[in-house]
Amino acid sequence: MTDDKDVLRDVWFGRIPTCFTLYQDEITEREAEPYYLLLPRVSYLTLVTDKVKKHFQKVMRQEDISEMWFEYEGTPLKWHYPIGLLFDLLASSSALPWNITVHFKSFPEKDLLHCPSKDAVEAHFMSCVKEADALKHKSQVINEMQKKDHKQLWMGLQNDRFDQFWAINRKLMEYPAEENGFRYIPFKIYQTETEKWRGEKIERKGDTCSTAPLLVKLETGQTVD
Amino acid sequence: MAEEPESGLQLPPSTVADGDGPTEVSPGTVTPEPPSSAAVSPGTEEPAGDSKKKIDILLKAVGDTPIMKTKKWAVERTRTIQGLIDFIKKFLKLVASEQLFIYVNQSFAPSPDQEVGTLYECFGSDGKLVLHYCKSQAWG
Repeated sequence: MTDDKDVLRDVWFGRIPTCFTLYQDEITEREAEPYYLLLPRVSYLTLVTDKVKKHFQKVMRQEDISEMWFEYEGTPLKWHYPIGLLFDLLASSSALPWNITVHFKSFPEKDLLHCPSKDAVEAHFMSCVKEADALKHKSQVINEMQKKDHKQLWMGLQNDRFDQFWAINRKLMEYPAEENGFRYIPFKIYQTETEKWRGEKIERKGDTCSTAPLLVKLETGQTVD
Repeated sequence: MAEEPESGLQLPPSTVADGDGPTEVSPGTVTPEPPSSAAVSPGTEEPAGDSKKKIDILLKAVGDTPIMKTKKWAVERTRTIQGLIDFIKKFLKLVASEQLFIYVNQSFAPSPDQEVGTLYECFGSDGKLVLHYCKSQAWG
């Protein structure tokens, strides 16, 4: 794991330069300037856009403001997908900055989950971690951790603290020396056409772990043993 | 093999938000692909859950949450967790404002837009997906 430290840091500190523009039909008391922000790829939109909300709400009346949501070229952005994933799925072939439109009205109930507070983001994130550990360690590692460890993992993400996060996450990425890897490797695969994800678990056979069974499954829809 | 005693119950389409509702497995009707691996149609022996459109879900109540009279359901793979939550709330006659949480492996709450088919593939065992439901956060 220590050999990969540079890679881990590069992944963690990945940023996407983004330009937030208020939707033209929103009612404002004066013109709203666009707002520029470097978004962390590993984080979630509703976690890192407080400044965006403050910026636009300054030019709006309270009665015209309800839950903020984002859209890129007509596609509502699911806050529960990591930012880097959203960018890679929807905008990676476009020129930077990533141009996101900000809305405060007409929340698209069919496309987006509501995000009532940061607690919702925390709950979602921790559920994803638990789901992954169910496959990697039969939930043993995550369940043996104390509540404060879970909290540290979350705070590390929320506050962009690499060392704080990885002090806990490295335990989730370890396996006993006698094994040669996790029993199952959790994958989430996102398809651009339908923008749905498929979860797969890769069974480790023998000493090597191959992604070949996974690839076959995607192409033919059949399981390969 | 012993069939589970279940009455045939088809949900009227109007009570369901998205598409087909879950249907119960009935001993009286002939289901094209039986839930467990024992009795299969001649000539085909497919691993449980592979190409069936529906998967079997077993619902278990947590704490003082009301217990569903019918616990075993055949559910379309593409049904979302949110769809399942809405269905259970209606079945238990809960108010819309009441919350309901669903858990897999008694450890994590899948995202509401997740499809049950995918969860079944990763976390199903013995031909079914066991889900615990609760009015409060049990394992949050």
